[in-house]
Amino acid sequence: MQMKKFINDPKNLVKELLEGYVLTFPDKVKLSGPGTVVRAVPKGAGKVRLVTIGGSGHEPGLSGFVGKGMLDTSVAGEIFAAPGAPKCVDALRNACKGGSSALLIVLNHAGDVLSANIAMESVEREKLPVKMVLTEEDISGPIGDRRGLVGCVAVYKVAGAAAERGASLSECAAIAGRMADNMRTLAVAVRTATHPATGNPIFELGDDEMEIGMGQHGEAGTGRMKLKSADETAEIMLEKLLQDLGAKEGDELLVLLNGAGATTLMELFLVFRRVAQLLEAKKIKLVRQAIGEFITTQEQAGFQMMIARMDPELIRLWDDPADAPFFVKS
Amino acid sequence: MDTVSSVELRKMFAEAAELVRSQNEVLSRLDSQCGDGDHGTTMMRAMEILEGATGSSANARSLSETLREAGWNVMGVDGGASSALLGSFIAGMGDTELGDAADCATMARCLESGLQSVQKRTKAKPGDKTMMDALVPAVEAFEAAAANGDTLGEAMKSAAAAAEAGAASTRNLVARHGRAKYLGEKTLGYADAGATSIALLFHGFSVALAKTEEN
Repeated sequence: MQMKKFINDPKNLVKELLEGYVLTFPDKVKLSGPGTVVRAVPKGAGKVRLVTIGGSGHEPGLSGFVGKGMLDTSVAGEIFAAPGAPKCVDALRNACKGGSSALLIVLNHAGDVLSANIAMESVEREKLPVKMVLTEEDISGPIGDRRGLVGCVAVYKVAGAAAERGASLSECAAIAGRMADNMRTLAVAVRTATHPATGNPIFELGDDEMEIGMGQHGEAGTGRMKLKSADETAEIMLEKLLQDLGAKEGDELLVLLNGAGATTLMELFLVFRRVAQLLEAKKIKLVRQAIGEFITTQEQAGFQMMIARMDPELIRLWDDPADAPFFVKS
Repeated sequence: MDTVSSVELRKMFAEAAELVRSQNEVLSRLDSQCGDGDHGTTMMRAMEILEGATGSSANARSLSETLREAGWNVMGVDGGASSALLGSFIAGMGDTELGDAADCATMARCLESGLQSVQKRTKAKPGDKTMMDALVPAVEAFEAAAANGDTLGEAMKSAAAAAEAGAASTRNLVARHGRAKYLGEKTLGYADAGATSIALLFHGFSVALAKTEEN
């Protein structure tokens, strides 16, 4: 099928989308270089700066979370492709200016990790105070080989809040690590997306099928099955997540539902309703929740379900104010 | 004289760039079988940078400096793992001191240091259906030819043949690394786009050196 997207020259896609993005929120974000989004008003000197990197085409992710209480810098790559190490190094150098330190938050995808590792070696040679945290919470893969999905948003939120409160680099890294360790995500897809630069579908899926475990770029999962209802899908996914997390009665959970781009809020509310019912029946406390489009994959239909075991400190940091273009808490 | 100087280096990258440009759509089509279909675009951008970095304006810098800088700039293409690894290979080639002109033995060390730089970055090995299926045999073939006393052109011809055979062999492999591994058996029957690119790169190098020898 012919691609139907409002784009200009695909070569300029990322540049143009970022220009449009910062023009939309001029009081919150700006471009500091090609592909690099920073806060319009930088955080106070000496506080830890949060930097993330990742491919484009997932709007509002990841640059949508640059703002007070969350990220300081987002380095964007091409469509679905990691930014290169040189840009990451520049972003980390800039973040460390004026006596600050930087926490680099990386979603576990081959390209992102490669660039991050090369960049880390480079800034370590320069003796810059930088630590890196990897998010790898997609339970469709075996431990040690899990992708980073929407859980990064929770990491940005709590580590960002800690940084605003004046926590040290080690403390921010520990908070980010604790959030990352306690979260689990599973994705489901029902319809593919078109790669906006090539015009090709990024995966194939039968008309009556869904796939559980689908990655952010249409990487195949393991659970291809006939399309199920909202309730059934919620049950299958939540059960796998709870089991993987080892959640038990009395645990306090954050639940995040992330629409992939073409799945309606209507559907997400149906799914969330069932999740809340199931948790109540299991006497697991739903303490915080968020529903929306955080990291999308173009017009892919499906969603990601994230659960995270919270403790009082993580809850407090989650509740702290945030003012990013696509994540506000007052 | 049988050496690679900045003139030959420029020709090598120009030939490789030309080949990649002509095969750009093939690369993207291969990538869309196992990945997100942007490999051709990434490679075009990478080759443009390599062509520029080694071009006539790449004046007074030493060959090693040129390669290191070119590699770092290729990493800046933002094409995910492909450009990060190709950039590491080129920059790693610059870790060997080449002086103004490299003979066959020096070129062998140069390719080896490029390969080592990639191996430092990725756990992928031949057999995983990645660029390593072409890169490892290509470098090994070049080293063997150099040890055998072959000319630069002959050694590069062997390397190109080995890279091509390696890339072709990926058709019968199941992806075990990178984003494609999630497709498992579905990747059978298609050559790996990254390995195909490496084969084009070495083929370009070989054509350029063959032309130089003719002159």
